[in-house]
Amino acid sequence: MSAPEHQLRIDPVGPPRATIVFVPPLFEEANRTRRTIVLAMRALAVDGFAALLPDLPGQNESLVPLDQVDLDQWQAKLAAITAALDGPVLVASIRGGALIDHRAKAAAWWRLAPVGGASLLRTLMRARASADREAGIASSLESLQAAAQLAPLLLAGNSLSPAMIAGLGAAEAQYVEPLRSIPLGEGGIVGTPLWLRAEPGEDAVMAQAIAADIAAWSKTCGIS
Amino acid sequence: MTDSVSETSGVDAALRALLADVLGLGADRAAALTDDSGLFGALPEFDSMAVATVLTEMEDRLGILIDDDEIDGEIFETYGNLLTFATRKVTG
Repeated sequence: MSAPEHQLRIDPVGPPRATIVFVPPLFEEANRTRRTIVLAMRALAVDGFAALLPDLPGQNESLVPLDQVDLDQWQAKLAAITAALDGPVLVASIRGGALIDHRAKAAAWWRLAPVGGASLLRTLMRARASADREAGIASSLESLQAAAQLAPLLLAGNSLSPAMIAGLGAAEAQYVEPLRSIPLGEGGIVGTPLWLRAEPGEDAVMAQAIAADIAAWSKTCGIS
Repeated sequence: MTDSVSETSGVDAALRALLADVLGLGADRAAALTDDSGLFGALPEFDSMAVATVLTEMEDRLGILIDDDEIDGEIFETYGNLLTFATRKVTG
């Protein structure tokens, strides 16, 4: 058994109303959104919630090599983390986080701008093809796809196992209940799609909007 | 029939917003892009990951499908080239 992954936990003063478990976006998108997620966590703690941001195996500070994990392991990890928490849990997923949150033990789910796995995989494959083209190496999405069935493939700095790539290509957000799924922009959370950004940034106004929307959804679900 | 001028300006606005989102340009810099503005190789933020993100977002926001055989280096050389490509995909 390798060392357990880090978890960032922010507690309120006094006993928490509930614990909000954030499931970050996948791969590079997690780095681009972490600062804003942490700002939202602080705002939730001020509002009386505990907020938890776990590292997934192979992501962030985890010591597990990324090419040894797949979506199934991430789902199991989130199930274990949420099962070990005391009190009600609300799972808040962003982008690709919505692909791995459905086995969590939770009283409610909240998803911001969920995205299909095929779209994430296509972007990663394209980044590899674009870098190859720049380096004068002939590669195509087809040839990369074929190579990915046999051995881990390096995609934009991520070494992904055949199981991870096959899983991503087919992954869709699964049905959970009660669920609030909210887009970015008009009629949703107003802010910037930081997960697309070439350089990490932060959006404090968006973080406040995320925290307020989660708190309201928790109340609607009768959690707190 | 959609008026081709307004269609082009719609693609233009969507493309500027997209580049602002991906490259963090801010509305002012995005609005100041001209046909001759250099992208890949000229803007340090515009790396291969950004190219990939722009392509996938163009598909989502413009409702088009891009075959990767259509992509060559020239498309990302200037804003004008990218706009021409996107407009052709939308109207074609």
